[in-house]
Amino acid sequence: MNLGHGGNGQSIVLTGEMYKEISEILSELASKTRARTIIFSDMNGHAITQRGVTGEIDISAMSALAAGGFSATAEIAKIIGEKKQFKFIFHEGEKNNVYFSNVGDNFLLVLIFSSQTALGMIRIYTKRAIDALTELLSSANEEEKKASQFVNFDFNKYLNEELDKAFNL
Amino acid sequence: MFINWAQQEITLKIVYYGPGLSGKTTNLRYIYSHIDPSSRSELITLNTKEDRTLFFDFLQLEVGKIMGKKPRFNLYTVPGQVYYAHSRRIILSGVDGIVFVADSQRERMEDNLNTLLDLEQNLITMGKTLANMPFVLQFNKSDLPNTTNFNILQQRLNFYRAPQFKSVATKGIGVFETLKMIINQVVNHIQSHA
Repeated sequence: MNLGHGGNGQSIVLTGEMYKEISEILSELASKTRARTIIFSDMNGHAITQRGVTGEIDISAMSALAAGGFSATAEIAKIIGEKKQFKFIFHEGEKNNVYFSNVGDNFLLVLIFSSQTALGMIRIYTKRAIDALTELLSSANEEEKKASQFVNFDFNKYLNEELDKAFNL
Repeated sequence: MFINWAQQEITLKIVYYGPGLSGKTTNLRYIYSHIDPSSRSELITLNTKEDRTLFFDFLQLEVGKIMGKKPRFNLYTVPGQVYYAHSRRIILSGVDGIVFVADSQRERMEDNLNTLLDLEQNLITMGKTLANMPFVLQFNKSDLPNTTNFNILQQRLNFYRAPQFKSVATKGIGVFETLKMIINQVVNHIQSHA
């Protein structure tokens, strides 16, 4: 139920219920648009969840690049005197197209779909999903689960053992 | 920071900051090539034709599950060149911890100081400051003959008394030590502040 924006609104804590509802909205969007892949991430480049075929796609890298690209485009909007950021970014490829749109100020939706698919249809269903996601995310109440509950002191100890293993220290 | 309770995932964002050519990308390249491929993503580099960082580099690391929880670390570098100020600000968004890679060579002291100032100014616009965020200093290229004396480097650059390491990123000296320290700083910060 809760989506917490800790600190200065940039830390995101997503609880189970909220995650489930987001997943349902994305599943609906996937079945309506038949998009090949759908990625939901935050504007800081953290992947949250995905739908569809993701085998060959590095989702974490894709989210980082999508967020970077979207932020860069938002700066372009500012430079040319737009009051808000662009509503979407569209890339047209030979086989695949990619459609990026923001969900509120903090989130990003990426659809990868066949270049045969009509863009108008993608736009309509994506708009509906964005409205549903925006409403869901804004209904989050304030009793957020704290990040500190996620990482307790034992976590720290075992993390260091794992880091030493991974880093050969 | 992103926490997903349903999936028991925590993702932290660590940014390598520093003047141009101080070795930020070299740190990431070394990490990339010396870690098990199953524990990392591909290294994404957005470069100019001259192989300088244009926008950012990105590398995600994963370690094994810890008490059922999956920690991930998203490592970014910023472009060091002065005129990419906007890109640096974009990449700092949502940062959990910062590694400042300083160039130990004598002639780069001014560049180190200016970039540190640029970092602090960018953090202030985001309502943060170096004084109260996870921060590690790395004095890179410490094997070169023309380096500033270590005590002077510390005095002039480490005014917040952050953990610090001498490094030679091309050879991996100090690279993983720095990374382990910043991850620890971030986790400790979450435990005491979040």
